[in-house]
Amino acid sequence: MHPQNLLLLSPQKCTLGCPILDRSLAGGIPCKSITEIVAESGSGKTQLCLQLLLTAQLPTPLGGLSASSFYIHTEFPVPLRRLRQLAHSFKSSYSNVFASSSSSSSSSSSTSSSDPCDFIFVRPVHTADQLFDLLLKLDSLLENPPTELPVKLIVIDSIAALFRSEFENNPGDLKRRSSLFFKIAGKLKSQAERFGLAVVITNQVVDVMTSSEGINGLKIGNLGNLYSSGRRVYPSLGPSWAHCVNSRLFLSRDEEILGDHVGSGEYVCRQTRRQLHVLFAPHLPICVEESLRLSFASVFSSEDRNNLRKCTKSVCLVASKMKVWRASRISLVVVIANQLQMLGYGSMENDLQQENLDLCQRGKFWFHFLPGDTNRRG
Amino acid sequence: MEINTLPISASTRGKLISTGYTSLSSLSSISPSRLAQDLRIQESEAVEILKVASVNCGVGNSDGTRAIVAGAQTAWDMLHEEEFARRITTSCEEFDQILGGGISLKEVTEFGGVPGIGKTQMGIQLAVNVQIPVDYGGLGGKAIYIDTEGSFMVERALQIAEACVEDLLDNGPARKDFRASQPNLSAKNLLRDIFYFRVCSYTEQIALVNYLEKFISEHKEVKAIIVDSVTFHFRQDFQDMALRTRLLSNMALKLMQLAKKFNLAVVLMNQVTTKYCDGSFRLTLALGDSWSHTCTNRVILYWEGNERYAYMDKSPSLPSASAPYAVTSKGIRSSASNCKRIKLMQA
Repeated sequence: MHPQNLLLLSPQKCTLGCPILDRSLAGGIPCKSITEIVAESGSGKTQLCLQLLLTAQLPTPLGGLSASSFYIHTEFPVPLRRLRQLAHSFKSSYSNVFASSSSSSSSSSSTSSSDPCDFIFVRPVHTADQLFDLLLKLDSLLENPPTELPVKLIVIDSIAALFRSEFENNPGDLKRRSSLFFKIAGKLKSQAERFGLAVVITNQVVDVMTSSEGINGLKIGNLGNLYSSGRRVYPSLGPSWAHCVNSRLFLSRDEEILGDHVGSGEYVCRQTRRQLHVLFAPHLPICVEESLRLSFASVFSSEDRNNLRKCTKSVCLVASKMKVWRASRISLVVVIANQLQMLGYGSMENDLQQENLDLCQRGKFWFHFLPGDTNRRG
Repeated sequence: MEINTLPISASTRGKLISTGYTSLSSLSSISPSRLAQDLRIQESEAVEILKVASVNCGVGNSDGTRAIVAGAQTAWDMLHEEEFARRITTSCEEFDQILGGGISLKEVTEFGGVPGIGKTQMGIQLAVNVQIPVDYGGLGGKAIYIDTEGSFMVERALQIAEACVEDLLDNGPARKDFRASQPNLSAKNLLRDIFYFRVCSYTEQIALVNYLEKFISEHKEVKAIIVDSVTFHFRQDFQDMALRTRLLSNMALKLMQLAKKFNLAVVLMNQVTTKYCDGSFRLTLALGDSWSHTCTNRVILYWEGNERYAYMDKSPSLPSASAPYAVTSKGIRSSASNCKRIKLMQA
């Protein structure tokens, strides 16, 4: 047994795809540790995970891990369509990366350019024991990866679904449940250490029913009370599971009513505000928060102006096709099928991809117009 | 038959064995006059035998005549030793105060708390602080950090080490020649002197603790062993809970022996668990009641409102008290709140 040389150890980080979010996480999701994302449903945790599956394939200078990823899902339906959508826009954003990789793999007989989805392995599990068995089988996959990129990212979405139905609320079952937590976490951590993996696990929240005394009000992490959608929530699976993960991030969503236009009757502007908080992490001592925006191309920080501009273009095309009322400067709030929202404003431009338009037309939407400027951050 | 290893004459050895002194431990707590009586030799010869035995044991004074009983110490000597013994500072004044000046050597201190309270931060801070040079009031030793959870982040350790070096250079003696004579004080050197081990299962953990004795005898400058956390691998499913208790108490015993033998501090981090008693759930430290007996000092870290507090739960010599502290980008520091009072709790 020899001690490791600390000066040679520098864990890699996997970028989230947005430089501002990466900055608040000191580079991204670290390797060799388990990061947990806790959120209410509809907050964007699956979107964030899918984005990570793609950014992990980026080469190291761009912040990725240059690796394939493994996506273990427990909730159905599987977001494969969304993954393909994201992969498509990802490929076009990083076209130079994928063009060069396909030309370098000319020795292999791939005639089509490489698809990011080729490097993502998806597997469903239904119970906690199945998950543990899958982890045991993963060892062989990690040692001999089937593609040229090694597996360096494992995403489990979500862990709560495995445990919330099988166990009763009596001490015996809870004890069995918590020993399963440690077994699974121990296996994941030893694999993460051995192969240098980044592990991301998503978790759900439960409502807090009683007062803040007792176990339900136990403060874990920097934020005392977690609020999402106006309710006080608490990460599920309890304090035992909190010990199993290395870092915990909390995504909250709140409906905000923008401005004060209720008087005119027609204008009610609602906006979903999503925020990322760091609850606890050994390398991030200060609690940070960052506002998130989701678009159909990616998840990004609301401060990221480049991405905001890209969203704006697609929104304006939609408006022009629908022949809605034009003004020289309008702010649009668009709600698209699976509850993604964007905020952006700019002038009308017609040079957009047809695909984005198709997507918009397939879903339902409401348009709310707000004349004049609004603050970008909302 | 350890008597055989002593460099004494064969006849003396024969006398010892025939009288019943077959092991070194039997010689360790006997007075010279008694030994002389038993062996029917001169008292000066008995003193010589005891001196040789105590030197071979590696325990006790080299001058066998000073102690009344070779191998043991008087309480007065122990008091003197304790007063002059240095302690490892936690970089937070109030925290040091409730610890009686800092983490003491030759003892096992346990820190327990919920996730996110700062146990790993405390571990890294102590691993850095044990290396503070003697001229600045520290121990100038090295540290062994045993990481069982993977929470140790090198970038954070570098941050804490840099802040420590900055603080030392700011607050240390201002003589220019003094500062020039400390060229080795840099964050990288501080990191170089932390021996970092990562263990991934409980068997590895136990094997490592057994190996530590050999390791420390080769690296005598080690003055602190930090295990973060000692519970993680033991909370998995153990079919036989008695086995778990045995393994844990063995490990604890080994760590205590290391602390006493090599005069170093052992710091263990523990987790919390919910205990079901009297129909309700209570929060306690993990690993059960039997583990509670094994550590010398126990400090519980908890939240009160938005502030972190440390509570001295168990100590042989210090009163129960709590103190606020903060985790900043520089590491563990004093809390910035205005009312920095130490609250003495009535036990």
